[in-house]
Amino acid sequence: MANLLRKIFLADLFQGLRVTFHYQNPKYICTEQYPAERPKVAERYRGAPRLNINPDNDETLCISCNLCAVACPENLIVVGWERNEQTKRKDLTTFTYDTSRCMFCGLCEDACPVDALELTQDFEMAGYTRDGQIWDREMLEQGPQPKAYRS
Amino acid sequence: MPESTFLDSTELVLNMGPQHPSTHGVLRVILKLDGEKVLGTDCVIGYLHRGVEKIAENRTYAQFNPYVDRMDYVAAVSNGLGYCLAIEKLLNVEAPPRAQAVRVILTELNRVASHLVWLGTHALDIGAITPVFYCFREREEALKIFENYCGARLTTHAFRIGGLQYETYDGFEREVLAFCDMFLPKVDEYEELLTNNRIWAGRLQRVGVLNAEECKEYGVTGPVLRAAGVKWDVRKAQPYSGYEQYEFEIPTRENGDTYDRYVVRMQEMRQSVRIMRQAVEKLAPGPIMAKVPKVIKPPVGEVYVSIEAPKGELGYYVVSDGTTQPYRVRVRPPSFVNLQALDRMVAGGLVADVVAIIGTIDIVLGEVDR
Amino acid sequence: MADEQKPAGSPSPAQQGAGGANPKAGAAAGAAKTAPPKPAAAAPPKPPATMAATPWDSELARDLRNRFGERIGETSTYLGQDFLVAKPDAVIPILEYLKLEGDFDYLVDITAVDWPKKPERFELVYILYSFAHNRRVRVKTAIADGYRPASAVGVHLTANWLEREVYDMFGIEFAGHPDLRRILLPEDWQGFPLRKDYSIVQQDERWVRENLGIESGQ
Repeated sequence: MANLLRKIFLADLFQGLRVTFHYQNPKYICTEQYPAERPKVAERYRGAPRLNINPDNDETLCISCNLCAVACPENLIVVGWERNEQTKRKDLTTFTYDTSRCMFCGLCEDACPVDALELTQDFEMAGYTRDGQIWDREMLEQGPQPKAYRS
Repeated sequence: MPESTFLDSTELVLNMGPQHPSTHGVLRVILKLDGEKVLGTDCVIGYLHRGVEKIAENRTYAQFNPYVDRMDYVAAVSNGLGYCLAIEKLLNVEAPPRAQAVRVILTELNRVASHLVWLGTHALDIGAITPVFYCFREREEALKIFENYCGARLTTHAFRIGGLQYETYDGFEREVLAFCDMFLPKVDEYEELLTNNRIWAGRLQRVGVLNAEECKEYGVTGPVLRAAGVKWDVRKAQPYSGYEQYEFEIPTRENGDTYDRYVVRMQEMRQSVRIMRQAVEKLAPGPIMAKVPKVIKPPVGEVYVSIEAPKGELGYYVVSDGTTQPYRVRVRPPSFVNLQALDRMVAGGLVADVVAIIGTIDIVLGEVDR
Repeated sequence: MADEQKPAGSPSPAQQGAGGANPKAGAAAGAAKTAPPKPAAAAPPKPPATMAATPWDSELARDLRNRFGERIGETSTYLGQDFLVAKPDAVIPILEYLKLEGDFDYLVDITAVDWPKKPERFELVYILYSFAHNRRVRVKTAIADGYRPASAVGVHLTANWLEREVYDMFGIEFAGHPDLRRILLPEDWQGFPLRKDYSIVQQDERWVRENLGIESGQ
């Protein structure tokens, strides 16, 4: 008898509707209003690559060891260097990183022994050209500069 | 086309094309229909074939690790676990206990996330639009934990050969336990929405029946096999990564229809939460990486290692020839093998059932096609 | 990629390689060496390394040997995983025997490995699992290019798509398969990608030109 009443009065459907109506309360809205509010990404987020600079003497931290290029599965890093005659060390000349083929796996960041190359929390790297996705040393040191349309 | 049907005047060949909201990816199903009854199906796959196995022959072992995530992209952590376990077996090393516990936590979290995608999209295909929002809201919490741990939400590349790259972050245990506490009442909510719902039961019961014998013949594993009554799970049968230490149950049902698979997966989500809680308790300080050489060169040999991915038995057959690059990596994809059984499950059903059955097998085309 | 070959006459004394093998950069401690560093060309070639498999001796292995005699080449185990190598025409009888007598009712996978230097170029691998006994076994066989092995569809229904994929990727045709056509690649693709002579950047350019209207390649 109870089953018949449940069937006629659509008890199971109202049970589901109760859940749905419970969430109509505006305090349950969890939509992120992007781009008005930017999401807080994690500290370890693997985003845009960056070549770090030593803050004390404004020189690059990279020692041109080529470990990042060796580690990359896609072979998209090209490190150019020349031998410095006075210090007998390698000096970085060019550093090319092809973000169009990068899969942001983090193997280059893991391989770098001096933490010069790191994947930062920037994710707004879109561009209009395919060639613009190949970043040279200057772009890597500055980081992506997305154009802000509204402050 | 299967030879059991032949074309006569009342039959219609309908293409459920690669672009379709209900085929869970780029799957093309050619249906032979008699009115609304399905006489036969033919799956055309390969639209997402990227040649992952060929890529593996041209990358070193550590370099291939990120590619593995891209196969079953919904459960990337599981794929990574399987691959790392296979290479570790070739090298004859074992990850330290702390690494194993963290791996179990992340893998079970990934199982929950994968089942949430399954539930949301399956319900959406059948016509219940609400669960998908709730499932993705919960999945967001799980993905936040992945992001905090390894830096990416979907293609996580969380594990390395020999253990873990990253130590757990401050608050990892707290966040995982908070997720567990938050999640169990939500599973109750999904059940309130769906389990007793007459429309849901009407759409799912006695649809797509695959009994235990047929499951074994077709090599179907995972929740589909367990819903047919076979109590088999790779985590219990051939435990890996410390699963023998955890207490959990294997949910099974008898009928092997779509409704049973739904119930099995909901129970599996609860069991995953149970495992996660135990694993967090077992987390003790220690090393996270085994002694693995910098350049990985396993001795000549081959190995087959399989894990219980959310979709079924995911296996890696790796052949090494002693160099830094694998000679052959074969991925045994559960979705590929499970999809074979589509033809048997659909026989005699209606067109609307095809959608329900594709959803219930829980395929991810990235894994079917690799 | 990670190794760097330094010339044999290197100034640093710490760079003498292990006796008989290629001189590796930086290999030093404990190497059995003669007094001057040897150039690489004078070292005798090492035999190719093979898998360090140990013989597999169990009741199942003995039963199989009794039943099939010399159609089974070796029964070995490596890293705890048992496998046997069989003659190509014995594979289907072995699968049937294992299914009926050994309770190996679940065919996990069929795959192939290409060893172009061997006369029997392809190695077909069948992985089987028994629910009742909770064990796995691999059945391997070596076939030459052009040989058409018998299809396992009669024994296990799973073999249908698995053999289609092996055909698609390697070109191994299975005799008796109900529906042998390409599964992952388009129907009219020419070439078998997972063979070792198929380069990773190679594509069927005729197919790409006809169907996509572009010149293939990046």
